Amino acid sequence: MAHPATAQAPGVRIDGLTVVYRTPAGELPAVRDVSLTLEPGSITGIVGESGSGKSTLALSLLNAVQPPGRIAAGSVEIDGLGDVARFEGERLRKARGAHIGYVFQAAQNSLNPLKTVGKQLLDLGRSHGVDDLRGLVREARELLGRMGLDGARVLDSHQHELSGGMRQRVGIMLALVLNAHLVVLDEPTTALDMITQANILRIVREVHAERGLTTLVITHDIGVVAEVADRLAVMYGGRLVEQGPTREVLGAPSHPYTRGLITAIPRLTGDIDEARALPGRPPTLVTVPKEGCVFRERCALRMDVCDTDDPAAAEHGARVVACHAVKVREHA
Amino acid sequence: MITGNGITKTFRQRGDVLGGREVRALRGVDFAIPRGGAASFIGESGCGKTTLGRIIAGLETYDEGEIGIDGTSMSPLTPKQRQPHFRKIQMIHQDPYSALNPTRTVHQTLGAPLALRARQTGRSRQWMDERAAEVLSLVGLDPGTVLSRYPHQLSGGMRQRVVIARALTVDPEMLVADEAVSMIDVSLRLGILALLKDLRERLGVSVLFITHDVATARYIGDDGELYVIYRGQVVERGPVDTVIADPVHPYTQSLLSAIPVLHGLERPGEQPVVPLESLDESQPDTGCLFARRCPFRSGRCESERPALGATRGVPQEHACFHPERRSVIARPMSGV
Repeated sequence: MAHPATAQAPGVRIDGLTVVYRTPAGELPAVRDVSLTLEPGSITGIVGESGSGKSTLALSLLNAVQPPGRIAAGSVEIDGLGDVARFEGERLRKARGAHIGYVFQAAQNSLNPLKTVGKQLLDLGRSHGVDDLRGLVREARELLGRMGLDGARVLDSHQHELSGGMRQRVGIMLALVLNAHLVVLDEPTTALDMITQANILRIVREVHAERGLTTLVITHDIGVVAEVADRLAVMYGGRLVEQGPTREVLGAPSHPYTRGLITAIPRLTGDIDEARALPGRPPTLVTVPKEGCVFRERCALRMDVCDTDDPAAAEHGARVVACHAVKVREHA
Repeated sequence: MITGNGITKTFRQRGDVLGGREVRALRGVDFAIPRGGAASFIGESGCGKTTLGRIIAGLETYDEGEIGIDGTSMSPLTPKQRQPHFRKIQMIHQDPYSALNPTRTVHQTLGAPLALRARQTGRSRQWMDERAAEVLSLVGLDPGTVLSRYPHQLSGGMRQRVVIARALTVDPEMLVADEAVSMIDVSLRLGILALLKDLRERLGVSVLFITHDVATARYIGDDGELYVIYRGQVVERGPVDTVIADPVHPYTQSLLSAIPVLHGLERPGEQPVVPLESLDESQPDTGCLFARRCPFRSGRCESERPALGATRGVPQEHACFHPERRSVIARPMSGV
């Protein structure tokens, strides 16, 4: 954090964010009343299963939720930019790329198969009004070199000539090359092998520190967050159910869902029968309960109040937890 | 008992003017999976583990070597003669979304293989319905609610259970599960793994588990054998827990070192092995296949290929001139 470039890393304050999708059953929330602060220079990891709303939340940072979805309430304040939830048109387009870099899920497949990486880089530069395209190419080559690739060769390559790990690094390069200091990585290592994943995670950590970034990582894999994130946020059914310092949350999870998720991960040592699957299955947009706690159907600590009242996120030291049972335990 | 001896497979891509490219997918692999037993093939994508699984399931041909199913050698047989043997081996694919026909209900999906079996054995329609309900119960699904459903009405975990139920309709001797849980939600994966283990215990069906996620290999049972495959060669082989706790091949050690550590819950291994990253895809075929990436290689490794075998004091087989135990995996922190 002592790196001089940290001065440029922006803080982000998401406050009361609700994102809804229009469906035949009316507008349903994919993200509901979520508040989360990304400290300048930090790496935050959001963990959730399919349907948890984690990708919708990440897209909200770019105000890029596509119809039939829309941001229905709340704000996304980014230092030096303002509330991007209110941005439109040209102003929004400029903010993306120049200030906020986004590495899409399966970056492996998000490149244009018909154009070389270099051509796509020039397209990106032109669309953002970069005058010094030569400088842009130089910067891209340096970034790729930094990530252990032969920059010139990669820029001359088509997508199919690159391995999954190489494409992922190209995705990171394209997100950073316009000098963005807020970076969102959506499932950065899905479909990569273990050794390649470890390499990419090391690169994410190093580039984050060297360039002075604020980084948000979205993943279904707690291991990925454990390796890179300072802070961990857990989403379930559109709600942020627990957040706190990564090591604290992993060492002593508070929310029954966080606990269940960690218990469900197969480990390399210890009694394998200690690992258990969570009963039931994650809710979808349609099946998520309209009132009460979103997790109660699968919860071992379910109480009457959970059926009627959605627990508010409450601070417990460095931890924020939304659970009636945890509140009861704290006050007992 | 399903056995393989010296299985070799080379894929030849027809190329441009410069001629084709050859990919040596398997280089003389031996394996033996006893009835009711379990084995796991682990390695990175492209190592040949999926090709080997497909060969074992009869879905892919091999160039050299011998596959034996319950003592019968497959090589002399015509494809038609092989069919009833390979039917004993059923494949569970990675993607439960594309493995089921979206226009068929679960009842229709299970009905097709059951109808074939009913014709062969002269059974009735009623037997088919009973058997369909039975296999669904075996995989933990309620026949009453699931039979009339289409795949899009089921979650990923339920679909994968239907795929397994369909495999069970033919009373298989072995299930080949290729990355069978990698597309399933994390909180549900363990349920599918436990199901495979349960089917082993209840039906005596053997399980071949193909994955890049070493930890999941432990769930098929501690009597299982682990085969670590690198560029078409088995480089380490032994009991699951031995290979995971005490790996001696630097490639196995690299794979295990790469598994994320749950900091706060675990402490990392003291001697992690990070392979040298080789940018050159066309590595030479002389010497040890891992030598170019191996931090511990010697001159001998570059000229001579180590064969899979045993050395004194090491309980598992390995293909390395310099086998050495290293503490690479994360262990639970004491007191947690």
